[in-house]
Amino acid sequence: MLNTRVKASPKSPEKMRVRRDTLTAYAFLAPFLLTLLVFFFYGFVRAVYFSFTDYDLFNPPKFVGLKSYINIFQDDKFRIALTNTLLFSFVTTTLQTAGALLLAVVLNQRIRGLMFFRSAYYMPSITSSVVITLVFLWLFQKKGIANYLTTQFTQYTPHIVLFVVVLVVAQIIQVIFERLREAKNYVPEHREATSFDALARIRRVTYVHWSDPLLLWISAAIGGIAVLVASFMGWIQPRDVATFDFDWVYNTDKLFGLLPIPLLFIILMNTFTTIPTLMLFFLAGLQGIPTSLYEAAELDGATPGQKFWYVTVPQLQPVTFYAVTISLIGTLQMFDQVKVIGDAAPLDSIITLSYYIYNYSFRGGSSLAGMASAAAMILAVLTLLVVLVQRQFFKDEVNR
Amino acid sequence: MNTTYYRTRLVARAVWIYTILIAFSLVVLGPFLMGTLTSFKDNPLEYPPTLNLPKLGITNMGAAYRLGVAGGGGGFFGELHPGATVPFEVSVFTPKGQEVTPPTVQVLRLQPGAGIGAVRDPVYAADFSEVKDLKAVDTQDAQRPDREGKLVDGTITRYTLNVVYPSLTAQQGEKVRAKTPRTFSEDLQAVVDGQVVKVHLDTPEAQQQRINVPADTVVSLIKKDGQYYLDGPIILDRTPLNVELERGQQLTDSTLPPTKVERFGRANFFNNITPGVMGFTFNNYLRAFRESVDLETGNSIFLRWVGNSFLVAIVKVITSIAFASLAGYAFARLQFPGKNLLFVLVLFTMMVPMQVTFLSNFLLLRDGLWGLSKLFGLPNFFNPWGLVVSGLVGSAQVFLMKQFFESLPKELDEAAAIDGASAFQSFWHVTLPQTLPAIATLAITTFQGSWNDFFWPSVVVQNPATNLTLPVGLANFRQAYAGQGDYGLILAGAVISAIPIILLFLFFQRYFVENSVGSSVKG
Repeated sequence: MLNTRVKASPKSPEKMRVRRDTLTAYAFLAPFLLTLLVFFFYGFVRAVYFSFTDYDLFNPPKFVGLKSYINIFQDDKFRIALTNTLLFSFVTTTLQTAGALLLAVVLNQRIRGLMFFRSAYYMPSITSSVVITLVFLWLFQKKGIANYLTTQFTQYTPHIVLFVVVLVVAQIIQVIFERLREAKNYVPEHREATSFDALARIRRVTYVHWSDPLLLWISAAIGGIAVLVASFMGWIQPRDVATFDFDWVYNTDKLFGLLPIPLLFIILMNTFTTIPTLMLFFLAGLQGIPTSLYEAAELDGATPGQKFWYVTVPQLQPVTFYAVTISLIGTLQMFDQVKVIGDAAPLDSIITLSYYIYNYSFRGGSSLAGMASAAAMILAVLTLLVVLVQRQFFKDEVNR
Repeated sequence: MNTTYYRTRLVARAVWIYTILIAFSLVVLGPFLMGTLTSFKDNPLEYPPTLNLPKLGITNMGAAYRLGVAGGGGGFFGELHPGATVPFEVSVFTPKGQEVTPPTVQVLRLQPGAGIGAVRDPVYAADFSEVKDLKAVDTQDAQRPDREGKLVDGTITRYTLNVVYPSLTAQQGEKVRAKTPRTFSEDLQAVVDGQVVKVHLDTPEAQQQRINVPADTVVSLIKKDGQYYLDGPIILDRTPLNVELERGQQLTDSTLPPTKVERFGRANFFNNITPGVMGFTFNNYLRAFRESVDLETGNSIFLRWVGNSFLVAIVKVITSIAFASLAGYAFARLQFPGKNLLFVLVLFTMMVPMQVTFLSNFLLLRDGLWGLSKLFGLPNFFNPWGLVVSGLVGSAQVFLMKQFFESLPKELDEAAAIDGASAFQSFWHVTLPQTLPAIATLAITTFQGSWNDFFWPSVVVQNPATNLTLPVGLANFRQAYAGQGDYGLILAGAVISAIPIILLFLFFQRYFVENSVGSSVKG
């Protein structure tokens, strides 16, 4: 008994403990590592290998060097898929980030009962893309609700234009009136003030702002009454327009000769469903900005526009960058919508890299798995590029 | 400037903010609300679209209930049974100067449904039932707008009628519900309690109708002295009725609202006059379940899709909890050589798109994971089990658990270690009980991810139709039904597939937030 202890001790209990810990750790990790090994690393290595072969799923793969890569870049379908993917990714990311940011800035206030609205805004992001695509396919039929609303909108443009014009004019008149009244009170003390802004700066008072909420309600009411009166008196009438029955899905046209209409349909759908959640995300970011920064800017006499540009935007940069990265990665791999729409749209108008890879892997009878794998490598490189740029950015953030 | 000034401004601003918030939530929820409401409509392509929903009216639902009872199938699912007499009423407006003629009422012989259901051999209500006792019960003067919108004098006549399905046997006795065998035979047989019995056709009518009773059909039998007599097939799906009017006449009222009105109001079609509440209000939902059937077993394929989706999601939740918390604990708490390298590799796996590895994984499942599937009696893994084995645990889940474990104080583990607990004991008894919120988050996001997953399932499960998960099945619905504009059924399927996630979300909202930005981007 004593002997064994003596024998073991030169190896030191510390080393024994490390070995035991290592064993335990790998035992804990075993199921995960096994899954990773089989379904990721093996798959990854094989995919790289396949991309250098002429594999077709049935015959054993033959090494052909870079031929698959050359082939895909000579393949029209691949070029279309790559263009569509980049277009889709760029446009969707821009639209949804800008839209969400704008909305968040408009709504930036401590909001009670946000929980209720939050449920509503998360709804599209928790629902599956298949469900959303099906609902939107129905909405965007030729005689669907989207086109119906567009028809209504064009019919009632006179009413809308009148409302907006009256609202703006009423607001301008009201604000000028209010400011004159304020000015009358202050000018005797500060004759040197040459403008309302200067006056406000000197007096350190808030004067009536152009977007004053109370006056805006009054202006909106005046606008509404104007529209009611005008249409009751027959001064304005709904325009006689043809029913808008645009085909959003089975359409070979391109917007600006560049963006296929069915792809635009998917962009609209994704932007619509993503903006609410991104908006909440930005709202959280906005409320994290210390108010002292705005106060300091105000002391320096910054206008609201300057405050937005020099305080809000830089403070929000990490959030924005994260949202953009996530959005780019997600949109680069877009597949579900294309598959669900399927033959309802011309393939060239909606094919993306992901769908190209899927399609070329399982083409009826003649699989082109080699080319598909080469395309998958391109997709992976694109995704990794986005991630690397993000990494770089965050490194800068930390150093600053 | 005084406080009142600022207070009114603040209130005005708050009212603006809430107005925008409400308007925006209506816009966001609009497509889903409209889709859900339309899933109750008979005509999802109605143009201009209206919010007129007769299917959700209480009076109509009451009428549907009573008609279902009259048909013999009960107030909820409504069927037409032999021996049933279904009373129905229609009111017809006849303009002045035109002869008051009764409408022509007929039970229609109509192919059921489109798509997958169209290949089934149906039993037609028209073969077994007919309209009887059509008579006018009262008349009153009224004014109605005509086609140009001008008010016209005339009379409204109320007619009652019965749709009668006479029993095919002269015998009296206990009614038995049974099914004819799956293969057609000249002599009529039926399966009663798993036993194949001979069915007697004791009347000339029954013998005549033999040819209209296909294989694999639900029938009603009369059991007397140990013998079975054919009472008649039970009409499950519908009893369609057509009410044809003279030119100029209008249908002003009927027991149920007509499904379709054509030829300027002359042809009024009732999809089913024995619907029961479910068959009336939830018709599209029932169709989703009933019309897609497995041709071999006659079971609902849609139900299988729901089951498959649940099976895959639940098993993946369980395995993820087990394996991800073990691995996450190892990364967060244990020291071992190669840890940093391994963790970098884990991060790497999260960046590589699924489209890179799917082909190799597809081949693995095709060969049943080197023959492993044979142990379970499966030739390959192109079935829900394939989705399970390939998704036992993912890097993102391990990452989530690691983050959670790291946020917990280390002292408890160390105290446990000093007391002589092994790593597993300290994991099981000390750390895990503190991580219930993390496990809830993991469970919910895993369930959601699996339930909504589309790319990988559409690679793995394509054939036979019983192997599909719900999203893949819904995509097939699009192909089968959208061409004919049958969006009612598609939307009903979409609503069913969204319900579990929405419920989960409403109950466990805070656990979703962790993952929201990643999943919000519909890629």
